[in-house]
Amino acid sequence: MNPLNDSVRLGLLQWQTRRHFLQNCSLGLAGMWLGSQANSVHGEAAQTSDAVPMLAPHFPPKAKRVIFLHMAGGPSQLELFDYKPDLQQLDGKDTPASFLEGKRFAFIQGVPKMLGPQFPFAQHGESGAWVSDRLPHFQSVVDKVCFVKSLHTTQFNHAPAQLLLHTGSQNLGSASFGAWTMYGLGSENQNLPGFVVLVSGGKTPSAGKSVWGSGFLPSVHQGVQCRSKGDPVLYLSNPEGVSRIQRRRALDTLAKLNRETFEQTGDAEVLTRISQYEMAFRMQTSATEAFDLTQETADVHAMYGTKPGEESFANNCLLARRLAERDVRFIQLFHWGWDSHGAGANEAINKGFHDRCREVDQPMTALLKDLDQRGLLEDTLVVWGGEFGRTPMRENRGGREMKLIGRDHNPGAFTMWFAGGGIKPGVSIGHTDDIGYEAVENKVSPHDLHATLQHLLGIDHHKLTYMSQGLPQRLSNVTQPSRIVTDMFA
Amino acid sequence: MVRLFFSLRTGARPWLIAGSTVQITSMVLLGCLCLNSFKPRSTCAAEPATANGQSSGGESPVDFNSQIRPILVANCTSCHGGVKQAGDVSFIYPEQVLPPDGWIVEPGDPDASILIERITTDDADIRMPPPDEHPDPLSPEDIELLRRWIAEGAQWQNMWALTPLGLASSPAELKTKHSAESKWGTQPLDQIVLANLQAKNLTPSEEAPAEQWLRRASFDLIGMPPSEDQLTEFLSKLESVSLTSEKEAVYAAEVDMMLAESHFGERWASVWMDLARYADSMGFEKDPHRDMWPYRDWLIQAFNADMPYDEFTIKQLAGDLLEDAMAGDWIATAFHRNTQTNTEGGTDDEEFRIAALIDRVNTTWTVWQASTFGCVQCHSHPYDPIEHDEYYASLAMFNDTMDVDLPDEYPTIRVPNDRSQLEHAIDVQRRAEELRHQRNAVGWDVAHAANWQSLTPASFKTTDGKLKQFDNQIVTDGGTFPPGTKYTVELNLEDLQTQLGEQPLSAMKLDILPLSDDPAQWPEQGSVLSELTAEWIDAEGNATPVAWAGVIADAITGSTDPDDALRGNASGAGEYPKLTGPRQTVFVMRDPSSWESLNEKSIKTLRLTMRQSHSTTGNLATPIRRLEWFATTEVEANQLLESDQWKQLTDSLAQARKEASQVKGPKLPIVFNRPAEAARETRVFVRGNWMERGEKVDPAIPVAFTQGTSVRPSDVNSRLELAQWLVSNDNPLTPRVWANRVWAQLFGIGLVETQEDFGSSGLQPTHPQLLDHLALQLRDEHRWHLKPFLRELVLSSTYRQTHHVSEELQQADPRNQWLARGPRTRLTAEMVRDQALAVSGLLTEQIGGPSVMPPQPDGVWQTVYSGASWKTATGPERYRRALYTYWRRTSPYPSFLTFDSPTRDLCAPRRIATNTPLQALVTLNDPVYAECGKALVEQTAAVDTQGTITPIESQIARMFVLVTQSQPTEWELHELKALYDDLDETSGVPQDDGKLNVDQNALAIVASTILNLDKALTK
Repeated sequence: MNPLNDSVRLGLLQWQTRRHFLQNCSLGLAGMWLGSQANSVHGEAAQTSDAVPMLAPHFPPKAKRVIFLHMAGGPSQLELFDYKPDLQQLDGKDTPASFLEGKRFAFIQGVPKMLGPQFPFAQHGESGAWVSDRLPHFQSVVDKVCFVKSLHTTQFNHAPAQLLLHTGSQNLGSASFGAWTMYGLGSENQNLPGFVVLVSGGKTPSAGKSVWGSGFLPSVHQGVQCRSKGDPVLYLSNPEGVSRIQRRRALDTLAKLNRETFEQTGDAEVLTRISQYEMAFRMQTSATEAFDLTQETADVHAMYGTKPGEESFANNCLLARRLAERDVRFIQLFHWGWDSHGAGANEAINKGFHDRCREVDQPMTALLKDLDQRGLLEDTLVVWGGEFGRTPMRENRGGREMKLIGRDHNPGAFTMWFAGGGIKPGVSIGHTDDIGYEAVENKVSPHDLHATLQHLLGIDHHKLTYMSQGLPQRLSNVTQPSRIVTDMFA
Repeated sequence: MVRLFFSLRTGARPWLIAGSTVQITSMVLLGCLCLNSFKPRSTCAAEPATANGQSSGGESPVDFNSQIRPILVANCTSCHGGVKQAGDVSFIYPEQVLPPDGWIVEPGDPDASILIERITTDDADIRMPPPDEHPDPLSPEDIELLRRWIAEGAQWQNMWALTPLGLASSPAELKTKHSAESKWGTQPLDQIVLANLQAKNLTPSEEAPAEQWLRRASFDLIGMPPSEDQLTEFLSKLESVSLTSEKEAVYAAEVDMMLAESHFGERWASVWMDLARYADSMGFEKDPHRDMWPYRDWLIQAFNADMPYDEFTIKQLAGDLLEDAMAGDWIATAFHRNTQTNTEGGTDDEEFRIAALIDRVNTTWTVWQASTFGCVQCHSHPYDPIEHDEYYASLAMFNDTMDVDLPDEYPTIRVPNDRSQLEHAIDVQRRAEELRHQRNAVGWDVAHAANWQSLTPASFKTTDGKLKQFDNQIVTDGGTFPPGTKYTVELNLEDLQTQLGEQPLSAMKLDILPLSDDPAQWPEQGSVLSELTAEWIDAEGNATPVAWAGVIADAITGSTDPDDALRGNASGAGEYPKLTGPRQTVFVMRDPSSWESLNEKSIKTLRLTMRQSHSTTGNLATPIRRLEWFATTEVEANQLLESDQWKQLTDSLAQARKEASQVKGPKLPIVFNRPAEAARETRVFVRGNWMERGEKVDPAIPVAFTQGTSVRPSDVNSRLELAQWLVSNDNPLTPRVWANRVWAQLFGIGLVETQEDFGSSGLQPTHPQLLDHLALQLRDEHRWHLKPFLRELVLSSTYRQTHHVSEELQQADPRNQWLARGPRTRLTAEMVRDQALAVSGLLTEQIGGPSVMPPQPDGVWQTVYSGASWKTATGPERYRRALYTYWRRTSPYPSFLTFDSPTRDLCAPRRIATNTPLQALVTLNDPVYAECGKALVEQTAAVDTQGTITPIESQIARMFVLVTQSQPTEWELHELKALYDDLDETSGVPQDDGKLNVDQNALAIVASTILNLDKALTK
């Protein structure tokens, strides 16, 4: 790895930005969403006479953008996709000691009881995918989807597991998948943030904003949290008393004066600033427009189950499609509430879990169909899943039987599904053991997942690196083994 | 090189072809750039290397650090380094390269050196680097350099940053060399800058206009723009002087005035807060509140008092270990309590204690040594000579602190709201804590010396789970042990009597043991005896309770007391949240009963009931998994507990506790060590995995950092010694690193650009001599005082140059690394806010106090499992400086993040300034800035005249000056007035009384425009 590469690159990028700007500003001030983040203009970079390293793609990508639907809390694979008839036989029995040895649990203690699948399963589609009756809509799109049943992680608490899934490290301080994607590929939309985050369920993820943070990468690459209620982007609206016409007029003066400052100082950063203010102005319209769900037809609303003005997963799914249409690079949705311990009604398998399924089933199905209809699924990589799975044992918090039914965190096995963007449709990859406790065949770690998904984006996960803490850091984690799961590729 | 350059242009991008090919190109790339009109590209070392490989040979000897090491790092060390040592060869350790042990290089004889043979051969099977992964061999220039280096004797050097200070020629010598050529420069540092400029055929820029310098210096020193009055007075003083010396005096006086302001401490505290990863919350999922602000206030005071950096260092790293530690010393230790505490249910407290510990090690080495130590956690350093176990030797110095990732954050100290009581308040709390330990230690000294007899239980049972017996030990045997589990152990009186002899049973000892006998498997899940009930049982089954005089433990290792085991609460004997090893607790009887009296009452059995109610935040029980009971007949402990000495200790403790409990104020987490008796062992984590513990290690610093000094690595074996060593003359890195950080704050880019990494993977200094000069000035001349050091910097001619840049200079040195002009950099996130508040007259000037919640958009705080909410401040708290804004780790203030603040999850050694549209949205639309714009209008309207309305133009001009400290040109004023006129909805129609109507809204938009000028956002 080249230790000097990143700093050199950063310097070059800053130089390049200005150089590019000086050459092109007469053509108008467009062209640069994000100033110093000049890798976004690598298209031009390749044509200029300056040798500027292109970060990525390293080879032709299959996916141009990502929609990542994160089910925060860890949905139960045993109630959705990973059908385990053998587990039913063990229901209510004491867990054998061999299942408990050397295991660490968040809440289970001593000897818990086994818990069979709580809902009926059936096979669907031509692919014959197993899906429980909790997802009646989703059953209709299983042939578009690649299930991976053999995900596993090392973390059994939410915050560290979410960090691992999104940044490649269980500790805070690393860059998120989205931030790496921005760093490597830049943005294709000049008027919207390239990495948009949408949250529903009333809570941010357990690990906070670090799961879409830039970590050691320059902060410009971090995700921008947008809202389906209020200003979609923070501070997007003009303050009270300032109309759009007045703003335009003021920005004209600002640009004139700033250009004069450029003349006085020769500092090219001033020109970048002028262009960023123009971009902000355009973003006020384009972001408002992009987030305006009232523009959609009644049919579309019916398909997604959306109600404009709400903060809901359904609205966020429809927004995800609108942002994908506008070439936003990385769209990350978080839906809170899958932590089905059974300690309270809202997080019980036999209560809140129904609601969660209802909240996501129709919109995620609509999203896949809609992307497909519009020809976007082909180059949009859709990812669905939580940070870990749930135990085949019933949770016994405090060592006692609980009133509601719940399962504890299980890092040993969980299911995620993938669609579009070079993913092989209608297949299921990997297996867990007979009770869905441990991934046993074709195991996929978060690091494998990162290497694989980056591959679809045209990124060689070994090569997209950034020097930090004395190591050429990468999403797939330089200290951990990783492999590309080619079985997932179309 | 040319060939490679063309391959770049044709898009072959060799550094992206194969993972390890990357090495080839860094220096080559630099070379290319140098050829391609990037002449002064300054990412490579300045002196004595020109771009590597371009030396024409013959003149000066080859320099290992600047010429040879980069070739090795770029081409060799990723396979022959610290992690991979292919063929047992490493280019990191000289002994593996040079004789007598190494066999790679034969000093003085290039042709006999295997290194040269392997890099020059045409045989693809043996060429290095291997042609299959590295198609291009080393460049002829690199090979020639290596040959010359070997021919000249193959002198190895320690890493440049570890070489002693001041080996480069002193400024005095430079002066004699250059004074004939130029009189430029007010400070010795200017001479070094000038010499470097001349070597590059560059010349310094003119001196900046006074107001430009004042704005720059004011932000750099106090983080805010100069006030209107300050600007006016400064300019008028300058007008009244004519001699250069008088002018210098005016500048110096201005600097002294700013250095004396209490805003100085705020500005520099906010710099340190990034390094200290300061936040007002604990982090992770719930991210609850933490009373951290007294530490922030300590920083402000320390900077304001110009506390020397050595003292500043020692207090923060080891204030608790100082003899007669004062209040400030204790508060300073909170530096290392800025680590995160995970209160999420079901987490393993040891895992996050270790995460915090590792953070402390990494932060310490990053802040003081700019060493990328973190990677050594898992393996030896890939580029620098630091070995895997040396990381853990360093960690051992931090491993003995009391904190254990518990939500109560023990140990803490209340900082009194009444600051006049500070010393007393801290003192009583410390006394209470010390007496608690001291009293127990006095008891343990006596109790543990008794002759303890292991007891064989006659029977035992449990309410939950299963138990089994192994020798005299009772051990868990499967099942569930929920909180509330009770063990009942019965001892036969007859057996006791036989075993103990004539004297009556006087005390009992419980050993709570880990399941494993292998210390490498420790610590285990906590084991706590919440309550012990002992009863004598007679033949009929009647119970007579045993009265206890007290409980004594082998050591106190948490916030609770051994006596709790008699009190009916959940805490008690044993250890929580982790059992670090075997723990012993002695229960001393109040009135030992003679065997006769017991027999008279037909007592048959001693029944011990052991309730275990403790649990972790995840509701996980902490059962005793292995235990053994002992008894003694010796009465020294009983006597002690009845003695005056004990009574005195008990009374003093009670008194101190009472006084301590009266202290009202924030509860600040602090650092102090466990008692030596309960010291934690440190073991290497195999491949960095804390669950896999290897060899035991003793505290020490890495050997590489001691080379050339008389210090032995194991001499430095505690936090205090580490702190003292860091600031001793044996450590050249500390002054270099701090001087470089300060420089970077002023000039926007460090002399070593990678402020966080002075090692082989970082960049080398552009001005090694200047860096050493500054380090020496800081440490020796200014005795570690920051203020005179800053004074020297801001008064230097280098700093005082105009920031105007010509097109040629912009081309030649786009990032101003060679310093041929003054710095022009964007304001930091904090400065952007503080400026807006200051110039609009809204700023609340209060220094220190609890963090505040100025307006932020609704819905930004939505954290799981936490009731915390953002309560928007009303009144003066809305308008505090940025550094007082409540910093919640999982959700920092959004507009600061937009302006490149780090989240402060970890030590953030460098901010990289960006320029984005989201920043424009903040300063245009955030209601905070809209409010400032309006206030700016009001304040400029209010002051001026009596009764007559200020003409719009003069008001605009005044706003312009307030914000930018420069007069608008006629044209600028005209443009702004035109903006006003276009927005004015009163159409300039006079009121009935003839006064002009003023459209306040239109003026507010003009004010906002001024606040958004590039001039306003830069310094």
